[in-house]
Amino acid sequence: MRAKAIIGDIKASVKNWYRNKAALFWTLAFPILLILLFGEIFSGGNESYTIYIKDMDDSTLSHALINAMNNISIINLQPIGKNADVKEYAKKHAVLEIPHDFQNAIFEGKRCNLTLYLDPSKEQTNSAIRSFISGIVNEINLRFNNASIIVGYEEKYVVEEQFKYIDFFIPGIIGMTIMTSAIYGSIEINVKYRKRGMLKKLLTTPLQKGEWILSKMIYQLMISFISTIAIIAVGITVFHLKASFNFTSILIIIAASFAFTGIGMIIARFVNEEETADSAASAITFPMMFLAGTFFPLEIMPSFLQIVAKILPLYYVNEGLRNAMIYHDGNAAMLNAVVIATFAIIVFGIGVVLTNWKEE
Amino acid sequence: MNVIEVRGLTKVYGNVVAVDNISFDVRKGEVFSLLGPNGAGKTTTVEIIEGIRKPTKGEIKVFGGKVERAKEKIGVLPQEFQSMERLTVRETLEYFSSFYKKSMDIEELIEMVGLTEKKNTLYKNLSGGQKRALGVAIALVNDPSLIFLDEPTTGLDPAARRNLWKAIRKLKEGRKTVFLTTHYMEEAEYLADRVAIMHHGKIIAIDEPYKLIEKYGEKTRVIIKKIDSEEEMEINDEREIAKIIEKLKEKGIKYERIEIKRPTLEDVFLKLTGEGLT
Repeated sequence: MRAKAIIGDIKASVKNWYRNKAALFWTLAFPILLILLFGEIFSGGNESYTIYIKDMDDSTLSHALINAMNNISIINLQPIGKNADVKEYAKKHAVLEIPHDFQNAIFEGKRCNLTLYLDPSKEQTNSAIRSFISGIVNEINLRFNNASIIVGYEEKYVVEEQFKYIDFFIPGIIGMTIMTSAIYGSIEINVKYRKRGMLKKLLTTPLQKGEWILSKMIYQLMISFISTIAIIAVGITVFHLKASFNFTSILIIIAASFAFTGIGMIIARFVNEEETADSAASAITFPMMFLAGTFFPLEIMPSFLQIVAKILPLYYVNEGLRNAMIYHDGNAAMLNAVVIATFAIIVFGIGVVLTNWKEE
Repeated sequence: MNVIEVRGLTKVYGNVVAVDNISFDVRKGEVFSLLGPNGAGKTTTVEIIEGIRKPTKGEIKVFGGKVERAKEKIGVLPQEFQSMERLTVRETLEYFSSFYKKSMDIEELIEMVGLTEKKNTLYKNLSGGQKRALGVAIALVNDPSLIFLDEPTTGLDPAARRNLWKAIRKLKEGRKTVFLTTHYMEEAEYLADRVAIMHHGKIIAIDEPYKLIEKYGEKTRVIIKKIDSEEEMEINDEREIAKIIEKLKEKGIKYERIEIKRPTLEDVFLKLTGEGLT
């Protein structure tokens, strides 16, 4: 192993990469675009709900109710005037109307109704608001009937923090980008270089196959980390992602780069034509991308597809990165890392053995 | 001294014999050309010598041993070689020089192949002739004493071909040994000290170009085109031409022009195989 040759080869690969607009697009622009697009579309999950409040009573008690509701963080109350057209407002957000005899009715123990105006086309939001309001109504009824609460309930999340879609999505995009750049990259190097007589040429120089593979791996790792850092940077600045870049996540990125480069090398050994090699790579990467829980959690897929996902290497990369970077579940992350590292050793080993510069 | 020694080289693909039991030597400091039509087995032969392919049978020595041991001393331009698209001329040469212990001065090398004005141009933006010139420069980057050029001018326009020929000629002045494969007989005739003619996997003749022509070619013919007729004669020595012209003057014979048809390697090939070269 000679450092001069290895550094020379890495320098050439890096120059060839950053001058290639298509390569820059797939390794940097494409994953970032995906994050911005999907992140925007699916980030609605934990937003607050706006409710217009029309207080016809304007009494001490109605003010107390409004104050109480204001304390619920996910409800954003906006008062509207007594003469406001409820139907117009309801087209935008739900409207809660407090009747004019609200205080009197309660003190006198008479029944009165809060009226909730909803737009039937927003059923998802409606059901959430309906449950808040019915919760509040129950609470009021219990208080003023002097009933005591016997059964209460408390919510606990399995993980300490609450996660958003973007937290799930970004590690998946990292996994996907490493997979595509490693598989396509190693196919390009092996098939295209063979076609262009480059491998023949290298075979006649003192450069050894081992030096060459090592240099290409270091280059591939550099690309993987550049993509990962760019993706995380966008996640943090745009979506306030709370990700930590720890030892296990680095281990998973390295193992994934080796594993997918190995897959690319194996494809390149059996497919000689560039176009066919690209199709073969697509045939592997596309189904893997969708089945391995890159974009959506596995739980929403039919159970047989969940089983399929668990034989795909990308699944372990995605899960491992989520556990390591987002969920801080060190044990689960390490388990995923071990699975992907074992797979990488086998596949990359086969790839190295199969990589042959010699011609028949 | 022999730089390359090939003995009984045979290469068989399935039931096709691509190279059929050939033996030859390449001497130090000469330009040796393997000449033959496409499919004659030239590239297979040269790639076996370079260590790219394995022979089915036979013994090959480069600098008296295995070619794998001589990698620092050889330079190769493979057939239809294409370098990395997005490296400049200078970066490409620096890249390849990083593999070797010894390296030529890059600027000097660029000038030698006539690419000084293009030294900061990306490979993909070079013309076909410039790419091939760079290919030759890459083959020279380690200042090798043995250079293999496999069909270096195929697909080039005549001007680019001439330029490359000039560069290859300079190598000879530097006392380098050049192993050249080509299917252009003018190329072999212009560049080679010795030519091996290859046909269907066999070497059918090997010698200096003019000796091959002398041995297998027709005699030189002089054709005198007169106003209404033409006269053709064979001569043994080109010095006879002067005498012919003198005679024409003496007799006051008017003529439009005189054509001199010299035999070429093409004729040698035709004579030996009964087939055309291209």
